[in-house]
Amino acid sequence: VLHSTRSLHTAQQHWAPVPPLPEKGGEVRHGLIPEEFFQFLYPKTGVTGPYMLGTGLLLYLLSKEIYVINHETVAAATILSVIIYCIKKYGADVAAFADKLNEEKVATALTVKNEAIKYLETAIEEEKKEQWRVEGRSYLFDAKRNNVAMLLEANYRERLLRVYNEVKKRLDYQVALQTLKRQKEQDHMIQWVERNVVQSITPQQQKESIAKCILDLKALSKSAQAAV
Amino acid sequence: MASRRAAIKAIDWAAFAERVPPNQKAMFNALKTRSDALSARLAALPEKPPAIDWAHYKAVVAKAGMVDEFQKKFSALKVPEPVDTQTAKIDAQEKEAEKSTAEYVEASKARIAQYEQELQKLRSMIPFEQMTVEDLNDAFPETKLDKQKYPYWPHKPIADL
Repeated sequence: VLHSTRSLHTAQQHWAPVPPLPEKGGEVRHGLIPEEFFQFLYPKTGVTGPYMLGTGLLLYLLSKEIYVINHETVAAATILSVIIYCIKKYGADVAAFADKLNEEKVATALTVKNEAIKYLETAIEEEKKEQWRVEGRSYLFDAKRNNVAMLLEANYRERLLRVYNEVKKRLDYQVALQTLKRQKEQDHMIQWVERNVVQSITPQQQKESIAKCILDLKALSKSAQAAV
Repeated sequence: MASRRAAIKAIDWAAFAERVPPNQKAMFNALKTRSDALSARLAALPEKPPAIDWAHYKAVVAKAGMVDEFQKKFSALKVPEPVDTQTAKIDAQEKEAEKSTAEYVEASKARIAQYEQELQKLRSMIPFEQMTVEDLNDAFPETKLDKQKYPYWPHKPIADL
């Protein structure tokens, strides 16, 4: 991605929010020279321009001995080649590792934030629920008042019933008393009459009545014989 | 007889039970059993006692004025209605409850507003990838390092690392 289209120091500066970093850094050729340099020279010198410039510069430095070749050169060459080899081989892994560290930090922060959001939401739900619960307080007081009313009513009815039962008991007692007295008088009278009658039967009368009974029986037996 | 029949409202026990918080279920059950016992007792008693058959007694009882006297006294008798001492207290309780309910609801609403505010703040936060450390300290003040108390790095007690 070429950033030649990115205009520097032209727009109004915004410090916050900090604009996100671009995904990838600017493009570079041979790991050193930015692509913009090649683009800059392209209109005048074409594709080979920068290379020609580079080669010429190098030859100039070497031939005029502005850069002298000595032991340092060999050392530099080996060191640089080792460094470049290592970077090429392990660069990606190290980058991934560093990215992972960062990711973990960001992920922890994110989980904390999400948990906080969830907690707040549940808290709001709970509060609303409690408010709904509280609205039902009228039930409680209605129940209490009902209890009181029922108790009063039950007591009143009990009292009425009691009055009725007591009066009835007394009246029934009088009636029972009367009937008992009547009965006793009747029994006594009957007994007295019987006793007197039995007493008044003299032995003479007894004999006469027994003889009459026997005559009656004989007469009856005569008429009854025919039916047997 | 106007003060009698304090209207016994039908109570929806199911809806009532829903609104009882779990830590008060025992009290609710006690109330319900008491209420049921009372209504059972009320249902068992007849509304009016049966009428006494005066004619029959007048015919049967020999003593002259007794039945008439009984009848007169009986119809003159007024059974006193039980006095209602508790309803006033219950009404007072209800008013109390209204007041405390209003307070509680106010406090609850305030809490909800606070929660809403925090929620809003959290939801409108910029993503962590675009935050600087200063932005983080603004959003979560607890992450701010106290450079006066701990002037040397790491600006917090080592145990907190």
